[in-house]
Amino acid sequence: MHVIRVILRLVALVMILVLGACGNSASKTAELATARANSGISTPTRGFLAGGDARKTAEKPVPLLIPVRLVISAIEINASIESVGIRPDGDLATPAHNPWEDVGWYDLGPLPSERGSSVIDGHLDRPGGYPAVFWRLRDMQVGDDVQVTSNAGKTLHFRVTRIAYYPPDQAPLQDIFGNLGGRYLNLITCAGDWIPSQHQTTLRLVVYTSLD
Amino acid sequence: MELNHSLALTMRRLSLVLGVLALIAFFGTQAKPASAATSPSFVRIIHASPFVGTADVFVDGSKLLSSFAFGAVTDYAAIPPGPHKVQIALVGKGIGASALTETLTVNPGSAYTVAAIGTQASNLSLQVFADNNVLAPGTTKFRVYQLSPDAGSVTVAAGGQTLVNAISYQNASNYLIIPAGGYTFDVNSPTNNATLSTSATHDTNKVASLFVVGMFNGTPKSALVTAQAEGLPGVPNTGSDPYALSRTDTVQSLTPWLWPLGIASLLLIGSGFFIRKVIVK
Repeated sequence: MHVIRVILRLVALVMILVLGACGNSASKTAELATARANSGISTPTRGFLAGGDARKTAEKPVPLLIPVRLVISAIEINASIESVGIRPDGDLATPAHNPWEDVGWYDLGPLPSERGSSVIDGHLDRPGGYPAVFWRLRDMQVGDDVQVTSNAGKTLHFRVTRIAYYPPDQAPLQDIFGNLGGRYLNLITCAGDWIPSQHQTTLRLVVYTSLD
Repeated sequence: MELNHSLALTMRRLSLVLGVLALIAFFGTQAKPASAATSPSFVRIIHASPFVGTADVFVDGSKLLSSFAFGAVTDYAAIPPGPHKVQIALVGKGIGASALTETLTVNPGSAYTVAAIGTQASNLSLQVFADNNVLAPGTTKFRVYQLSPDAGSVTVAAGGQTLVNAISYQNASNYLIIPAGGYTFDVNSPTNNATLSTSATHDTNKVASLFVVGMFNGTPKSALVTAQAEGLPGVPNTGSDPYALSRTDTVQSLTPWLWPLGIASLLLIGSGFFIRKVIVK
């Protein structure tokens, strides 16, 4: 009897711990569902044509065919595209206005319609581990369709040709950013395990696509 | 007694199974697909051979460049990594009349400048330089390639400031970081007591090249060729700390909820052994 009591107490302790975590998890699940749903909601492109950028619009005309929306049906992505440049350390910058829902187009590279490698990046996850816009990029397969719509309303279709993972210091930058052999759109996000000391993950995932 | 024994045995087995499953979940093994896609190599070619006039360039038996003039430099072209048979023939003479046949081996993802050099048939060759086109943010990267056979060691200056000192034939300088903008480059050949000059504008975040080609005493005459390639950024950091608490969040992050489960699994396993001990007693 004493033994059974001990066992029951242990089981009760376990139940308390697991239910407590599940309680957190349940609310997390709800928030995750909300986050996933939000990634598909059309949000206005901020800081590009409206409000604070009115000065830029007045100073020089906004070129056409700037990519503004990325749609990948295979993994249920429907995201606004922000223009991003480079960070002071020379790395590609990431979306700043809506960092977890938007993707970023490298605006120092070619437009998606031009010869060369156009690049779009997006966050894998948010602080705390919630999925971000490119959470499911890993589920893409060769042959998947990628759509990019410009500010002029023109939609281009790209087809996935390669998928690769690289340690960040071994990523083939000339291939990702500088291939002039066609019209490419390369998608990039993080992958692998989190390295706390380096504040980054062990890998980068690059999905290479070619204009259809 | 028998019932107690069966119950204890069942509990032990159950606790062991649950414990192992929980440990697997705790450590969260996740298989990553291996990178199977191979990147191409990237090659640009400069015609710097005074011996060969305008030429056709063949790679692996197919014509890559037609009417390739002396001093011309191509963009970077993607080619499969590995060995390639490169042949250069006078324009229109066909691959069978190649003046140069050489194997060029290139690595995946790497960029190269390949210079066709040589002043006579016996010393025609390909000089291969590994390039690094990673950009220097906010500035220009600059490199000199000395491909003039009779220039000797040259010095490159701009605005009276020496940029590259004593670079000899078939060599490329290290990459220099220079402010973007307009330059007049002066290339001095002490051997010939002569200076060549050229002007160029180099843009921010680009990789600029200056090629010294031709003959100071002969033809084609010595000249400076400039080129500019896109600088490449580094890959972005698009991951987040999975253990961080969101600023708007009051709920703990996903991963730490596994800690209670991990502890629980150990307790379950321990309880299984404890029960066994009791039974044995």
